[in-house]
Amino acid sequence: MLKLMGAAMVVAASGLGGLAVAANYSRRPRELKALRSALQMLETEVVYSATPLPEALARVAGKCDRLVEPLFSRAAAEFAASTGITAADAWEKALVHYYPGTALKPQDLSILRSLGSSLGRSDREDQVKHLHLAMEQLKTATAGAEEEAARNIKLWSYLGFLGGLITVLVIY
Amino acid sequence: MNQTTARLRCRDRAIQEILPVLPDSIRRLVSALPLSIQAKVEEFRIRQGKPLILGLSSGDYFLSPKGQLTSRRQEAYQVTPRDMEQLVELISGSSLYALEEELRNGFITLPGGHRAGITGKAVLDNGRVRTLKYLSGCNIRVSREIKGAATPLLPYLLDGRRGIYHTILISPPRCGKTTMLRDLIRQISNGIEELGFPGVNVGLVDERSEIAGCYKGIPQLDVGIRTDVLDGCPKAQGMMMLVRSMGPGVISADEIGRREDVEAIEEILNAGVKVLVTAHGSSIAELACRPALGQLIQAKWIERIVILGRSRGVGTVEDIIDGKTMRSLGVK
Repeated sequence: MLKLMGAAMVVAASGLGGLAVAANYSRRPRELKALRSALQMLETEVVYSATPLPEALARVAGKCDRLVEPLFSRAAAEFAASTGITAADAWEKALVHYYPGTALKPQDLSILRSLGSSLGRSDREDQVKHLHLAMEQLKTATAGAEEEAARNIKLWSYLGFLGGLITVLVIY
Repeated sequence: MNQTTARLRCRDRAIQEILPVLPDSIRRLVSALPLSIQAKVEEFRIRQGKPLILGLSSGDYFLSPKGQLTSRRQEAYQVTPRDMEQLVELISGSSLYALEEELRNGFITLPGGHRAGITGKAVLDNGRVRTLKYLSGCNIRVSREIKGAATPLLPYLLDGRRGIYHTILISPPRCGKTTMLRDLIRQISNGIEELGFPGVNVGLVDERSEIAGCYKGIPQLDVGIRTDVLDGCPKAQGMMMLVRSMGPGVISADEIGRREDVEAIEEILNAGVKVLVTAHGSSIAELACRPALGQLIQAKWIERIVILGRSRGVGTVEDIIDGKTMRSLGVK
């Protein structure tokens, strides 16, 4: 009886682990999509309303998906917290806080980083170019991430349970 | 004595407001200066690849990398491209795209009413300046609120309890015209108990946001309790708007000179509203030569002409002239 319970626990733990990995794979495309639509909102603020950047970031934070909300609200908060901070610094600080809690990969981070270095530093047309570039890159990344997710989600959700079962068999 | 300390405190505030928009390295140098010197800085001249220059009331000085004033060019701190980049970002609040109108005019108003003039390469659109890019030079003019600056002038400008005379303040740049105008507005708007003056509604057109130092439409500097401010509005249009909408007793504007400004003033005079304006110039003779302004003086519409200079420091009242008789009222 005790053995049976142990075996169930091993299978459950390993299965949940697999599901967690799978969930992580499905999370990245969602985050990338949310980022892209948040940048779309930022573009509207910048181009059509000419809202100053700190305010624009705060507004986007209020409207966007909650998956990416921390990034924008943090960046807006960095602006508010210290006078004499540049957009690149505020964005970088926000990224440092935001990135570890996400399923994003280093290449996604670098897209956001390079966008940060040009935020607010040029006229509208130029800002649009930089935002479009970042959105385009995020789109490509999303396609890749979706493909990867499709492959890996099934794999990991089975792999966890099967791995658990194999372990149980070997120990038995 | 009280007035001096009050003045010093005000000036410190001005520098406190400007420090956050200076690039790191320059901010460090300026904050290392003794407070008494900080309080005397009137202007920062920041040009890429050139020495950093501070304009004080006693003249221009370089700032050494050790944070000391010096008049030797070799010791001066050189402004780096990185400084310039940072400066542009900071004075624009990282929102250069939102400031196209300001760039077209060549300056940005900072919180607190300080003015940052900028130069760079002009981008043209159909022969008109659309915006500036490659910004390479910046001149930050410190705007200081000196309460009581206009007190000596008041007895000459008040027309009993009825209001003020039509007044124009003239001076060359950097002689305290705007500071004087701001305090005049504050006092006539609040009312002056000592002179038994009850206070009038003032309509202020602050085209360059220098007088009231509006930030998001709200005056950051004290312009009195009965003052309505139209911020960032072209003067001629703004003066007419105020006359029609706000029922002011006095209309005020800074640095008039264009023909449409003078035309608007004529309209206001006919509407029975008093005007209180400033213009660039150093003497009446010079003013009279200018096409639009000359007409205003020659027609004897203006009742008081105040000439400011810096013969005894910034904001010295050099003379007050009665616009009707063209005689000095004997203020020397």
